[in-house]
Amino acid sequence: MTDTAQGHASSTGISNVKLGMWAFLGSECLLFGGLISTYMLYRGRVTGGPRPSQIFDIPFTSVSSFVLLMSSLTMVLAVSAAHKDDDRKTNLWLTVTALLGATFVGGQVYEFTAFYKEGLGFSTSLFGSSFYTLTGFHGVHVTVGIIMLMSLVGILKRSSVPGKKAEVVEMIGLYWHFVDIVWIIIFTLVYLIPV
Amino acid sequence: MSRRQFDIRLSVTIASVRIVLRRVFRPLIIVGGISALSASCATNAPQDTWQPKGPNSKLIDDLQQPVFAVAGIIGLIVAVAVIYTMLKYRDRGQPIPEQTHGKPALEITLTIIPALILAVVSVFTFGAIFKLAKTDDTEMIINVTGQQWWWEYDYPVQNDFGITQPIISSGQLVMPVGTKVLLRETSRDVIHSYWIPALNGKRDAVPGRIQTLRLEADEPGIYAGQCSEFCGLSHANMRMEAVALSKEDFAKWVANQQAPYVAPAKDTLAKQGEEVFLNQCVRCHQVNGLTRADGTPAIAAPDENVWSGAAPNLSHLMSRNTFAGAMFNLLSKQCRDEVWNASSDVVGAKYLAGVTEQCLNQKDLRAWLRNAPEVKPMYANPADLAVSDGKYRGMPYLALSEDDINKLVAYLITLK
Amino acid sequence: MAIIERPAPTVPAIVTPTTTYGSLKRPVSATGWRSWVFTVDHKKLGIMYGATAMFFFIIGGVEALLIRLQLAAPNGKVLNADLYNQMFTMHATTMVFLFVMPMAAGFANYFVPLQIGARDVAFPRLNAFGFWALLFGGIFLNLAWFLGGAADGGWFMYAPNSGPVFSPSNGVDFWALGLQIAGIASLTGAINLIITVLNMRAPGMSLMKMPIFTWMITVVQFLLLFAIPVITVALFLLSFQRNFGARFFDVAAGADPLLWQHLFWIFGHPEVYVLILPSFGIVSEVLPVFSRKPLFGYPFVVFSGAAIGFVGWGVWAHHMFASGLGPVSVAVFSLTTMAIAVPTGVKIINWTLTMWGGKLWFTTAMKFAIGLIVLFTVGGLSGVTHAVAPSDTQQTDTYYIVAHFHYVLFGGAVLGIFSGFYYWWPKVFGKMLNEKLGSWNFWLMVIGLNLTFGPMHILGLQGQPRRMYQWTEARAGEGFFNLAFWNLIASIGSFVLAVGILMFLINVLITARNPQKAPLDPWNARSLEWMTTNPPKEHNFDVVPTVHHLDDFFHQKYEEDPVTHTMKQVRTAEEIMAEQERNADKHIHMPSPSYWPIVLAFGLPVITFGLIYSHLISVIGGVIVLFAAYGWALESSTAPDSDFETNTPGTGLDKVASNHD
Repeated sequence: MTDTAQGHASSTGISNVKLGMWAFLGSECLLFGGLISTYMLYRGRVTGGPRPSQIFDIPFTSVSSFVLLMSSLTMVLAVSAAHKDDDRKTNLWLTVTALLGATFVGGQVYEFTAFYKEGLGFSTSLFGSSFYTLTGFHGVHVTVGIIMLMSLVGILKRSSVPGKKAEVVEMIGLYWHFVDIVWIIIFTLVYLIPV
Repeated sequence: MSRRQFDIRLSVTIASVRIVLRRVFRPLIIVGGISALSASCATNAPQDTWQPKGPNSKLIDDLQQPVFAVAGIIGLIVAVAVIYTMLKYRDRGQPIPEQTHGKPALEITLTIIPALILAVVSVFTFGAIFKLAKTDDTEMIINVTGQQWWWEYDYPVQNDFGITQPIISSGQLVMPVGTKVLLRETSRDVIHSYWIPALNGKRDAVPGRIQTLRLEADEPGIYAGQCSEFCGLSHANMRMEAVALSKEDFAKWVANQQAPYVAPAKDTLAKQGEEVFLNQCVRCHQVNGLTRADGTPAIAAPDENVWSGAAPNLSHLMSRNTFAGAMFNLLSKQCRDEVWNASSDVVGAKYLAGVTEQCLNQKDLRAWLRNAPEVKPMYANPADLAVSDGKYRGMPYLALSEDDINKLVAYLITLK
Repeated sequence: MAIIERPAPTVPAIVTPTTTYGSLKRPVSATGWRSWVFTVDHKKLGIMYGATAMFFFIIGGVEALLIRLQLAAPNGKVLNADLYNQMFTMHATTMVFLFVMPMAAGFANYFVPLQIGARDVAFPRLNAFGFWALLFGGIFLNLAWFLGGAADGGWFMYAPNSGPVFSPSNGVDFWALGLQIAGIASLTGAINLIITVLNMRAPGMSLMKMPIFTWMITVVQFLLLFAIPVITVALFLLSFQRNFGARFFDVAAGADPLLWQHLFWIFGHPEVYVLILPSFGIVSEVLPVFSRKPLFGYPFVVFSGAAIGFVGWGVWAHHMFASGLGPVSVAVFSLTTMAIAVPTGVKIINWTLTMWGGKLWFTTAMKFAIGLIVLFTVGGLSGVTHAVAPSDTQQTDTYYIVAHFHYVLFGGAVLGIFSGFYYWWPKVFGKMLNEKLGSWNFWLMVIGLNLTFGPMHILGLQGQPRRMYQWTEARAGEGFFNLAFWNLIASIGSFVLAVGILMFLINVLITARNPQKAPLDPWNARSLEWMTTNPPKEHNFDVVPTVHHLDDFFHQKYEEDPVTHTMKQVRTAEEIMAEQERNADKHIHMPSPSYWPIVLAFGLPVITFGLIYSHLISVIGGVIVLFAAYGWALESSTAPDSDFETNTPGTGLDKVASNHD
């Protein structure tokens, strides 16, 4: 009988990495839960700085939100291509996903700059501090996702062994979808619901 | 080492251990005996939480006494059960027992019993919680503001009690007996907690919030308390005392607090002290009615000099028994004991006598004026004032000369 | 060494490591100190966790002794106010985050894979990373002592006292960022252990056949998984305020200081169960072994543990009964707090009934376990007295609370840990700790802890608040309850306690020098970790066991007589081991050592150090982290077979799919 520590038959039938990612995302829910609660508590406390309604550009953010949502679709396509062991398509869709994500982050950088020019700094008010912290944390998550996607593309290209990548692509896909869902919640609570 | 030497050393060691043990245990036995003889003897610590002196603390006490009793009995049962099991089933060569995995019926019973006990306790707890949160039966309001490291008491105008202009005091909370007093607490810097164990549990004073605490004393007396939320360097020195006076005595106290300022006579040491006060102290400390040489009122500006924006109002300083956040006594030890140990029918009169020249605790007051941060830690490092925009946290070192201190003490004693 | 070849252990594998990253060679055949620093073996990491925790235990203990010296007499002059505040802050922080948690992590790391019949954890490199992050985080936290003073706001670090104005030294920065690093360590540890338990159980080991220690550890890891992110948020808010001018706790900007309290205690209360449940698990192993009976009501103990895990989320505001939450919240949290006493009581009852009808063997491990039952009960019952919220408003922030949680944490968590030391020492080090010294150790600790913490009940009820650098005779009273007397007793007790712990350290030294090896199954134990050698081989089991019972090892040794229901021994441990040897797996693939966990972990304190002093240093730290992350991702967790030249190369090897732990 041959056995390995890593290839140990999994008791749940789900691979370690995937289950590990699920656990991590469970933890992330609480992280964003805490940040969102802080924002919801403080969003009306502006102390002389601009109010949310004075600076939010809903159409602009809607478009960038839509871009991020679309990236979830391309991520699904990447996972499905990976399951079919189609390396070329997997790489293609991963790249597109990363580009869409980058567009979103670019939009966020633009938005932050615009808000800053309109007088909302990090230290201006509780609203400013908690807004930048919440959306900034999300932006960092998207950025980390982009780095992972691009690294994955690089690793897949380098690897000479075809196939067996679906697991990893799926794992990063889980992360990506999670970040998207969090954005839907943030977008609704921060931008759409008036103070 | 020879056997003899060893014996000597051993006996010396045993003797010294005996001395230590005797030192430790003799007082234990003595005080144990005394306390057994006079269980309700009032020599317990002044912040004893088991000696309620008002209806609010009595409510808590009536709730907690049975809870402690039940907890003690359960603890005893567990300890006895464990020890009995240990003795009964110790290994005496019996065979390995049957591998039973438990008896669900027994388990469920033993789960339900504590649950029921707790359910009963919670019913009484709920009642007490809501009774202690009531505010609609308030008879008197006192605003209490905490800051590092003292409490300010602000009595808003309440004509029923003869308070026709706001009274601002510190160090001792003076209140009438048999009156439902509601403290409205807040803080100017960090979180503090107001606690007079004999009168009620504690309530935090949180900056940006106003929270209430009911207080009521049954009998005249002085009740000790202590800030009980960690608030920085001198947390240990942030004390308070609640002084309950009979209604008549309280009216006298109010009248005195509202009495106009009496300037010291010309050409006295006290008059020179007033000048020192105007030059040095008035930056932060207000004395109501004090005027400058040109006749303009001397208005303190603690907001420009102190981080919390406040310093104790020193009008009628000598009507209080304490200073520096109740860390030090204004009364000398002997005079203080006379007030503290007075029976409830004379404590009011003794308290209202205030601090006389003979009774003034010169030592601590002078040390305080000489170098306050040395006797009460106020900021770890004076260089760190940079982070508080150069503002003090507590009374600074003023580099007063001994001459100035003499004058100031002479002046302060006139603030009756 | 990563490949274990059987049955020819005398022929060493020849190792030619592949290049992993740039010019670095993988440390596949590490020996000496390298075999520890680059290890991914859960057992070595478990020992390293234990040693680290012990080191911090001594530091935290010295801090405690200084505190007790200061308070032995009125107006203590041993420490000044500033130093005293740092001392109690760091004492609590060290004991909670750097002693009890890592010690539990050490036990979990070592024994969970063994108890579930696994050869390693799910993510060995992540495991190593967690350990190094904890060690570096702990060192970083304590660096503040030498760089302008440690944190001084209490371990609860209430805002706004933790803000830059009220706590101007860098202590709080070191504290917040150091805990952030320790938090990352706990989070990765939690993910690793959860997946290990869920996915790597031996065939036949259903969840309800898992040893209770593994169960409790699993509950703890779930608590950590969801509690750590909450403190992470709180610490970020604090750091952003201190280092980047955010206004989160700035009351002038309209901030609510209670936000910190809620975030802290939503983490902080589950954290209490994180500290105590591992010890509950340990004594739930020890009591059945030395009673020669299965744990009474195993499913009740499992479910009460899980219940504590759930209800533990709904009680946080009982730390805030004096904060001014309003009567409705206070009533609700009062009720939930009483409710959580019930599953805790269930455990006490089950432990007592486990001993009932047994054949009790009072080893040191057993003594510590029984000590836990009695002393934890004291702490639990004093806990019930302040679940009664009005009563709590008299007790909170007094020494009564200090007494309460020291009975829970010292009488509970620490006694459990010491029980674990004596029980598992032969398993880990192959030698028995001296029982005679163990007895001294136990009695001195128990007497010392009762002398130290018992009087604190009196002190608290007599109105002595916590966190005061001095107490005054003016508030000490006279007679039996005199504060001076009981403070002195508590201080004397703390030194008795210290001597008790010294006995343990002496015992460790004496045992290390004693050449006598422990027998294979010294306690006639019940669970799978004993079904292997002392200490276990690198691959844990020669044959991955197939499990049929709860306490499977016991049931392999004993069978029940169907008529008399008495147990009779059918096989010895030696026979079971010999059989395993005969059927040993031929080719076992173990994860290989790696540089990246320690390098990646080292990057973290560099980043945080830079956040305090110079952002340029942070950039360097960031580069280290990124570099290590790539090295990690590009290296497979097990070195490829081509690295090994052995007598039977390449037979039946599984390609290892996963390289993303």
